[in-house]
Amino acid sequence: MNPLPLSSQLKQLLPRGRILDSPAQLAGYAADALGYKSYLPDAVVIPADADELVGFMKGARQLGVPVILRGAGTSLSGGPVAAQGGVVVHTSGLKRIREINVEGFWCEVECGVALNDLDAALKPHGVFYPPDPSSGPVCTLGGNVASNAGGAHCFRYGVTSNYVLGVEVVLLDGSVQRFGGPAGGRGPWREDWKRFMIGSEGTLGAFTRFWLRLLPLPEKVWTLRATYPDLRSIEAAIHALVAHSSYPAAIEMLDPRGVAMVETSQMAVGLPKGSFMLLLEIDGPPALVDARVGPVADLLRHAGSNDVVLSDQDAMRQKLWKARKAAGGLLGQLSPDYVVQDAVIPKSALADVLQLVYDEADAAGIRAVNVFHAGDGNLHPNFLFDSRVPGELEKVELISERLMRRVIEVGGTLSGEHGIGNDKSAYMPLVFGPDSMRLQWAVPAAFNPTHQLNPLKVFQNRRFAT
Amino acid sequence: MKTIAPMQAERLFTHFLDPVDGTLCLPASATATDIHAQTAGHRLRFPLVLDPGATLREHTAAATHAPASCRFGPYCDNILGINWRLPGGRLARIGERVVKTTTGYDWLRFLLHSGRRFGEPVDYVLRLRPDCGFNIEARFEGDSQALRGCVSRLLHSGWMHWWDAVDFITQDAGSFVRVSIHCPSEEAPIFEQQLNRIAAETAAKLSVRHDAQPPLDGLPDVTVKTTPDRAISLAGQLAREAERCVALCYNGVVHVHLGEGEDMAGRAHSLMQPHIGELHALGGDWHSRWLPATPPSLTESQWLETLERTIHAS
Repeated sequence: MNPLPLSSQLKQLLPRGRILDSPAQLAGYAADALGYKSYLPDAVVIPADADELVGFMKGARQLGVPVILRGAGTSLSGGPVAAQGGVVVHTSGLKRIREINVEGFWCEVECGVALNDLDAALKPHGVFYPPDPSSGPVCTLGGNVASNAGGAHCFRYGVTSNYVLGVEVVLLDGSVQRFGGPAGGRGPWREDWKRFMIGSEGTLGAFTRFWLRLLPLPEKVWTLRATYPDLRSIEAAIHALVAHSSYPAAIEMLDPRGVAMVETSQMAVGLPKGSFMLLLEIDGPPALVDARVGPVADLLRHAGSNDVVLSDQDAMRQKLWKARKAAGGLLGQLSPDYVVQDAVIPKSALADVLQLVYDEADAAGIRAVNVFHAGDGNLHPNFLFDSRVPGELEKVELISERLMRRVIEVGGTLSGEHGIGNDKSAYMPLVFGPDSMRLQWAVPAAFNPTHQLNPLKVFQNRRFAT
Repeated sequence: MKTIAPMQAERLFTHFLDPVDGTLCLPASATATDIHAQTAGHRLRFPLVLDPGATLREHTAAATHAPASCRFGPYCDNILGINWRLPGGRLARIGERVVKTTTGYDWLRFLLHSGRRFGEPVDYVLRLRPDCGFNIEARFEGDSQALRGCVSRLLHSGWMHWWDAVDFITQDAGSFVRVSIHCPSEEAPIFEQQLNRIAAETAAKLSVRHDAQPPLDGLPDVTVKTTPDRAISLAGQLAREAERCVALCYNGVVHVHLGEGEDMAGRAHSLMQPHIGELHALGGDWHSRWLPATPPSLTESQWLETLERTIHAS
């Protein structure tokens, strides 16, 4: 063990980068967007560039404390936080877009690039990178890859793992490894190691850069919004849409509690009281989407909506999205704390599981708002509570556990796009049996056997033993 | 938060068809014909087919992509879960039956094309797609410049999302571009209008076949992964030593069909030797169903041994 104080060791490892260690500075890194679980790190380092990150990782073992990689800290799983103390590595210095190759449909970016900055850089080239988590203006690609982020348009376009062609990662032995690259294969390796890296939540290594797959931009988008009087009719609409040849890019839902939240705020858009709102988009060449929009609107009406609004004009489309986008922001205003779950279920169980959320939350006196990716069956029930009120957090945890048990019973999974972090790690034994659990633990055993990288995440008992 | 007790048994997939969710679980020994028999009545399809008589296990052993990967991505994006037989004979559940997951490390994508070192697939959970009931196959013919122009126009617009396949095919009789479209019959004229526009812009000759079968090229002898902009020229080079090469243009994949003959392993090996350096530099790869996997490096061996110790302990 190095006898120097931690701050002195960090200064040796980062001659050009920044080191934050005052309580006020550290407080900004105590939590992610989950908010209510906070842990003060011992220090925060901001490497100036990739070379300095590599240098830091080479010396990280000698520090003898946990190392937590962090992008913008927008995750909703309690992922990039110092749950066992240690040093948070903020990767904001690695923000170069190194290459955009339109003919090859790929780009090369550093891990600290903000998602929307990449979008802006790609747009003039007529291509785009589809994953679109709602934190796009600030979230980094490093965080997106670490948590396998999704977004509203996953129904057709898929999640981050569908678009990562290659990963450069610094391992705890200080080696820099490249898994894949512009071509998206294995490279010289026998196995496709990048598959473990994507969605690994900072537990295997430090990302420096990625090669990402791109798609041509769709020329035209139609946005449609419909409201429904009850859960069964909106469920019927969702089931019809996912089987429809128009193949919507997004199928989003806001429940009556979410509608009420929006309509009693300054963001009100005039949705009928007590209604379920469905929002969807179809995109593509004008000739194709213009031919499809009529049948899609008919489908929405046929499922029971007499309130279908649609537009292909940007300003109006933004208005149609307003309630969906406002809902996320309003949650933070309405309640000191909230937990958002991320379970994915077979869509045949949609109404049943939503009813369970309502029943459990109502019985416990906890407000629950559902705003989610209905096409994927990716639920986001938000449980609003006040962690200062004794017993409220425990109630939410009990509801969450019952919900997760039901999710697994119907064939679903814990997380679709947020990751496990330390928020859902307790539920992992519901998913993995004895053999598949051993397989899971084998991965950090190969790359991070002491669990120095991001301990107490993914699995509740993944603890760094100094 | 309280600790949840570990499960005592694996939560294996059982065979099912969920027509609402568009998912199907069936044995890895099932063929595309078997899948079609189960799904057609629900107006669903599994589009990633190379050979209707080959099993799913044979498909994933031979290739990572199929022509319809242009629209739907590789096999690993369309196979959601696996019951996997570990080397000791026990079964483990890998992946899920839902379309999105970030629960734990992604063993599914790691194992799917890894050969038999870690065991073998027993059952697959497939993601199905709506069956629109109508297929179009278009063929562009012309000189090399015209065909490359066709591919560029097919891929570099919003239409690209709606072609099931855009393949550049090189064989003895010459080269052509094959476009496969799956749509409702009422949309067929819209697609044809766009194909005609591309033909006019590139001076390529277009022929269109309605209600065609999706492309079925058979299992490739060699599969190569490069970047999309290199796939056509690589297919041209490999075709000099092969019977037929199919470049899946958006995916940057080349399927090589060597043709009848002996020593398929030797032919595959010598065919690829001149290209390995460039492929690896790009993060690409190649493999042949006739050849064992490449031996791992020392670094990789250490990781593999750690994984294997765990897997064999099961």
